[in-house]
Amino acid sequence: MKALHGLIPTLRPLDAARRLAAAAAVAALALASTAPAPAHAQASGVDPAAARILKRMTDYLASLPKFGVDTSNVVEVVLVSGQKLQFDSASKLTLQRPDKLRTERVGDVASQSLFYDGRTLTLFDPNDGHYATVPAPGTLDAAVDFARDSLDVVAPAGDLITTDAYQRLMADSTSGFVVGKSVVDGVRCDHLAFRGIGVDWQVWIDDGDKPFPRKFVVTTLDVAGLPQFEVRMSNWTLTPDVSPKRFEFSPPPGATRIEFLPVGNAGAQP
Amino acid sequence: MITLRNVAAYAASFVVLFCVEVAPESPLGLRLVPEAQAVVGAPLTPGSVAGVARRTTRRVAVAESAEASSEASAQAAAAQQQAATAEQQSATAAQQSATAAQQSATAQQQAAAASGALPLGTVVATLPADCSKMTSGGVEYYKCGPDYYRTAFQGSNLVYVTATP
Repeated sequence: MKALHGLIPTLRPLDAARRLAAAAAVAALALASTAPAPAHAQASGVDPAAARILKRMTDYLASLPKFGVDTSNVVEVVLVSGQKLQFDSASKLTLQRPDKLRTERVGDVASQSLFYDGRTLTLFDPNDGHYATVPAPGTLDAAVDFARDSLDVVAPAGDLITTDAYQRLMADSTSGFVVGKSVVDGVRCDHLAFRGIGVDWQVWIDDGDKPFPRKFVVTTLDVAGLPQFEVRMSNWTLTPDVSPKRFEFSPPPGATRIEFLPVGNAGAQP
Repeated sequence: MITLRNVAAYAASFVVLFCVEVAPESPLGLRLVPEAQAVVGAPLTPGSVAGVARRTTRRVAVAESAEASSEASAQAAAAQQQAATAEQQSATAAQQSATAAQQSATAQQQAAAASGALPLGTVVATLPADCSKMTSGGVEYYKCGPDYYRTAFQGSNLVYVTATP
């Protein structure tokens, strides 16, 4: 069904050590040339330079009244045997603050779309015309939480698009540093690496005057094989089509409405 | 190949827009099971840092107990969702009980499979062979052998859950 991809590149210890050394140098330079990091709650062990670059990005995204971005996602699945598989997908995201979101899968595989219009959230699977619509919170930030916690539906790069993304990301992060400069899809970026509870994560942020995130990687630490989720972001636009109908769902003829299964079926256990 | 295809279908739909957040129930990660007992909601890679931190809210999947689901209906589902939501807030305890529940549910599922009928609320990623489609009360069902399934979203995955028309 989906082509399987090769192993992800991994840092060998020696490389890692080299990069760390380089990162330390860069971090020192950055520290010397910039103001102190914001007074936000910040876990000890987080390099202020890394926090500053991250916050510049999240503040920038939060300040945008609307944007569109193409995402390319890779998720890894570890089989019982230890064999690791990767699955690719791409989706297009359109957002208008404070309460509109649309994401749609693009490409030639099964498509699926999410519509959030400030009142309801709909997941539509056009393959065989199924959709589920539920009442949703009135803001995008709350809707992202609602979708994840109550529906088990996670927006691509959902960690990055809310107005309080910085707090969300840093709340449980115990360390973080600037790895260095890196080029992602032709764009020069600052590469940041953080550790949280049960998770390592990295983000690559355009180091120009529009600090868009370009790549985001989440590594799960408590599953053997350390599977990763990766999203690359490209074609950022500040002028997406945000006409209201783009965020509203009208079931096409013949579509069947279904329900979301409750999250955590264990609630039904005696 | 069947199980691999299931995983592919599952993961492909799963990454469409979103990622399912699930905590590992075992250190070995995703469990592959025969098609007839395909367990949806197996551990996968969380796609959200916040999701990892709040993984007690993840779906634990699979079957409900036979008693609990004998009244399977929209109302029951709604009530369960509320219960589930309440449970999310009670963190670790819920996670542990959820794990136990999944184990017991899986056991039930296997036992039931042996006797030819699945417990109500059993979730599968793909329907068994030779199903016929029917509509009851405006809801679409598939009749497959002794079981009826209705279509549902589990996270962003399209799944089939045993139900009573």
